[in-house]
Amino acid sequence: MLDRPTPAPVRCSMEALEATLRRIEGEWEHYQSTRDRDAVYQYLSAVFELVAVWEHEGKAVDFARVILWLRHRSVQNKLEPFAAVIFCTADRQKVDYRTRSKWSRVLRYAAEFKDLDEPLVAYIKRKGGINKCAARFARRLGRGRRTEVTTHRPLDRQLRQRTFL
Amino acid sequence: MTILMDEILQEIVDQAYGAACLGRTSDFSDQDMVFANVLAELEVTGDAMRYVDAEGRIAWKATPCLRDYLMDLQLDAEAEFEAEDV
Repeated sequence: MLDRPTPAPVRCSMEALEATLRRIEGEWEHYQSTRDRDAVYQYLSAVFELVAVWEHEGKAVDFARVILWLRHRSVQNKLEPFAAVIFCTADRQKVDYRTRSKWSRVLRYAAEFKDLDEPLVAYIKRKGGINKCAARFARRLGRGRRTEVTTHRPLDRQLRQRTFL
Repeated sequence: MTILMDEILQEIVDQAYGAACLGRTSDFSDQDMVFANVLAELEVTGDAMRYVDAEGRIAWKATPCLRDYLMDLQLDAEAEFEAEDV
């Protein structure tokens, strides 16, 4: 049986989570303040890196619940970590439910299929951009998917392969 | 267990460990414990962040904020050095 990777020895405190949220909010502000079309990728990369760590520790949903609590927000739908981080760090006036859902699908698709050593920006661009990746998610992992996916937790498959094979 | 981190953070935690060994700042001398405590503090101040590295392991790196700050310091130091030369 495959064990999970050894968890990080440094515990994540509430203060650390708060600081992390502030850092990602800073990335959002930067994205809003620049005309650079690629700036959104920097923000999405920050979101992706954070959830990847949570997934690695097997606590993505738990951490997502905590940040929603920290930001006094709640979700009506099923709790999805990428969407929760975007919900807590981006301006709700500018990122509506549909955009949040689309970005979340892109990040879930990347978490499932991207190689660990490939930057998120390069991967999304290689796959045709944000809209194409969202569509790919629908085909491969969404409700109307063509193929069954063997893992239920993004990154698990890659992490197992990288760490133990 | 070894805590993986980039060069910037390694330098900071090494200094903290050196200070801890001299007994100036704390009682403990276990290296990983000192590293873990320093990284936890740096994470709270927004200077360090965890990430999953290319090998699928949790590692630590300086945040863009700390990198920018250090870059500014370096540029200031270089400017001062050049001014002194003249």
